[in-house]
Amino acid sequence: MKLKIFLLTFFMSGILSAQVTFEAKVSKKQLGINERLRVDFTMNKDGDDFEPPSFENFTVVGGPSQSISNSWVNGVRSFSKSYSFFLAPKKRGKFTIGQATIEIDGETYKTLPINITVSSAIDKPKDPSDPNYIASENIHLVAEVSNSNPYLNEAITVVYKLYVAHGTGVRNWREIDSPRYSDFWSQAIDVKGFDAKEGTYKGEDYRYVILRKTVLYPQKTGKLNIEPLSLDVTVEVPSNRRDVFGRSFMSTVNRRVSAGNRTINVKPLPENGKPDDFSGAVGAFDFKISTNKQTLKATEALELEVKVSGKGNLKLFQLPKLVLPSALEVYEPEHSENVRVRGLGMQGSISDTYTVVPNYQGSYPIPNVSFSYFDTKTKRYKTLTSERLIIDVNEGPLSVSGANNNTTGAVKANVISRNQNQFSAFKTTTSFKSITSKPFFNSTLFWILLLAPFLLIPLVVLVVRKRMIRALDVTGNKIRKTNRLARKYLGEAKKSLGKKEQFYNALERALHNYLKSKLRLETSEFNKEKIEELLGNKNVSTATLDGFISLLTACELARYTPLSAVDMRNDYDKAAFVINALDKQLN
Amino acid sequence: MCSLGFSQSTTSFKQANELYNTGYYQEAIDRYNSILGANQHSAELYFNLANCYYKLNEIGPSIFYYEKALQLSPDDTDILNNLGYAQKMTIDTVLEVPENGISKFINKTLNSLSVDGWATRSVGLVFLFVILFLGYYLSRSESKKRLFFVSSSIVFIVLLTSLGLLFKKERLDATTHPAIIFAKESEVRSEPNLGSETSFTLHEGTKVLIVETYNSDWSKIKLRNGETGWVSTVDLKPL
Repeated sequence: MKLKIFLLTFFMSGILSAQVTFEAKVSKKQLGINERLRVDFTMNKDGDDFEPPSFENFTVVGGPSQSISNSWVNGVRSFSKSYSFFLAPKKRGKFTIGQATIEIDGETYKTLPINITVSSAIDKPKDPSDPNYIASENIHLVAEVSNSNPYLNEAITVVYKLYVAHGTGVRNWREIDSPRYSDFWSQAIDVKGFDAKEGTYKGEDYRYVILRKTVLYPQKTGKLNIEPLSLDVTVEVPSNRRDVFGRSFMSTVNRRVSAGNRTINVKPLPENGKPDDFSGAVGAFDFKISTNKQTLKATEALELEVKVSGKGNLKLFQLPKLVLPSALEVYEPEHSENVRVRGLGMQGSISDTYTVVPNYQGSYPIPNVSFSYFDTKTKRYKTLTSERLIIDVNEGPLSVSGANNNTTGAVKANVISRNQNQFSAFKTTTSFKSITSKPFFNSTLFWILLLAPFLLIPLVVLVVRKRMIRALDVTGNKIRKTNRLARKYLGEAKKSLGKKEQFYNALERALHNYLKSKLRLETSEFNKEKIEELLGNKNVSTATLDGFISLLTACELARYTPLSAVDMRNDYDKAAFVINALDKQLN
Repeated sequence: MCSLGFSQSTTSFKQANELYNTGYYQEAIDRYNSILGANQHSAELYFNLANCYYKLNEIGPSIFYYEKALQLSPDDTDILNNLGYAQKMTIDTVLEVPENGISKFINKTLNSLSVDGWATRSVGLVFLFVILFLGYYLSRSESKKRLFFVSSSIVFIVLLTSLGLLFKKERLDATTHPAIIFAKESEVRSEPNLGSETSFTLHEGTKVLIVETYNSDWSKIKLRNGETGWVSTVDLKPL
């Protein structure tokens, strides 16, 4: 240990100051067990019989050394004499440095006892008079963090303050190592002038200067380290040497100070209730979509502004993208920021301006866009939704095809024609069908209607063919013809075969009917002579004529004569034969 | 009973049109829906309903009902025109894969009639063919016979084409299930679970085809440009 004791003695006579003081001063009240302590007993008037306290629990490693200073300032003499002891504690604990006594001008003065706390060993025993040690005790660089437990993306400020104890001075400083806030978005805030302010550091009065202010937005969660700021400070430290006026000489020491590492525990944003469209905005914001016009003509430009304003990490998130109807021509948005960084973080607004050009008529809704952020005050997510905008384009081409129509040929003024592409109004009439009605396809009706007509073809073919065969068969035809004639005229007679009266009545009527239809006779003109004459005129053979007449006679006779069933049968066949023969000859 | 229901619906339809015309679109929608609730529909009803939604700027329902109307009458120019208007409001542009001339023509013909439309047409052609064929068979003169034969042959070819189209259309309808995206935004994923990657995003009003479904929560969809992906079924409304 290097001790320098300066004795400066002026032998000068003068008036002593009236007040006598005798006091004890210790260099520190708290020390580690491996440190040393300096005790000064100072008096302002010389005395005798100085008796130091016993210093139990301490070992006197130096002293007593005496120093006397005597100065004249403006004719006033000041005197001080001190005894210094250097003590090393023997053990840990709280001890008291007892009273020292001295006799000045015949009176005994005592100092006040001083309590000293001896703690466990500290790293490096400090030499209390080493300028470096003094500098280290009197200069402190502190990083103050506004919030050491912020949310992700919540602004915190780090303020670097250089505390300088009274009595020491700082000549200048130089940054050795600037912190690189690797896990933060950082922005330094300019500090205008270095105003010294009064403050306390660990309960003691200090002056301090704010060196730096930085706003940080943590970009990662978990424990993040803020790297220390290191400065090389040129410090003026009072030394034990004094000038002629008793002022300490200032010795200049270069001292490295650094604000210790600070660890910030960044909380993640709560997952609970996190909106889907959350893009990392934290703070308090306002969200708006605005347009400079709502009705316009096609091919005019329109500006749509998506704007977020407020406080928070404005530069650190993406604005929600605007999704617009595909029929609108949209250009890349222009991003603009109007953000100031203050002590508390970013403030201002950011916006995206889209230029939109509608090409066709119509109304285009701008879908509402939502923007979510985490409100640091309420610690909840908030979602703001823009109002729905509708852009009306009321003049211009109607659609792609409409546009083509407009370009063809000169447009005649006042041509009245319905525009095919206008939005059609509602329909006034309708016919309802049941929703649950069965489909026609695959129904039985469908298959019948589809296939049945094909059956018609073979049917018709069959019929036609049969008719052709019949036409070819001559004798068969004859018989069929007779049969047909007989069926036609003798049907009734045939039915009553066997019943004499009815049969002959029917037979007579049939013969008459036949002639009536063939010769167009009236019933009144009907008699045998007339028939003979008519049929004779028609060149009917006598055999047939006789047959016919004989039949008529038989009919008349039958009313008065009994006749058998066989006769009736014969007469029927004869009638059929005669009619057939007549028919042939009359044609 | 049935005719009573129809006349009631016609009254409702007229009232709804009145509401529409005076601008009470939401009320008109309610009235139109009451007709649908009575299990009756028509192309015009869907068309008017879609118009209401269009006026209210509700893209999804608007396109949905225009498509419904088109299913009932695929050739209506008014419906096609207004559907074009509604599609202008949609956000997605799905570019169709360009088809070659023949398949484009076939598809256009195919979609110009509904299944029942093709069925009715086929039946009509069958009758026409049979009449012409019998005309050929029964006519005596050479020139008439030739005329009937040529015309019946043409009708027969047309009939076969019509039948072919009918069955093709039926199969097409049975295998493709078109749907409209109803959600404002719907994420199309590569797999039917929420953890998988989002392939692309679709917006309200886009028409998709449902290819298959999984657990009824997820539907595999296909876009007109051939892109496929899985979509949450609640985002869709099948036509």
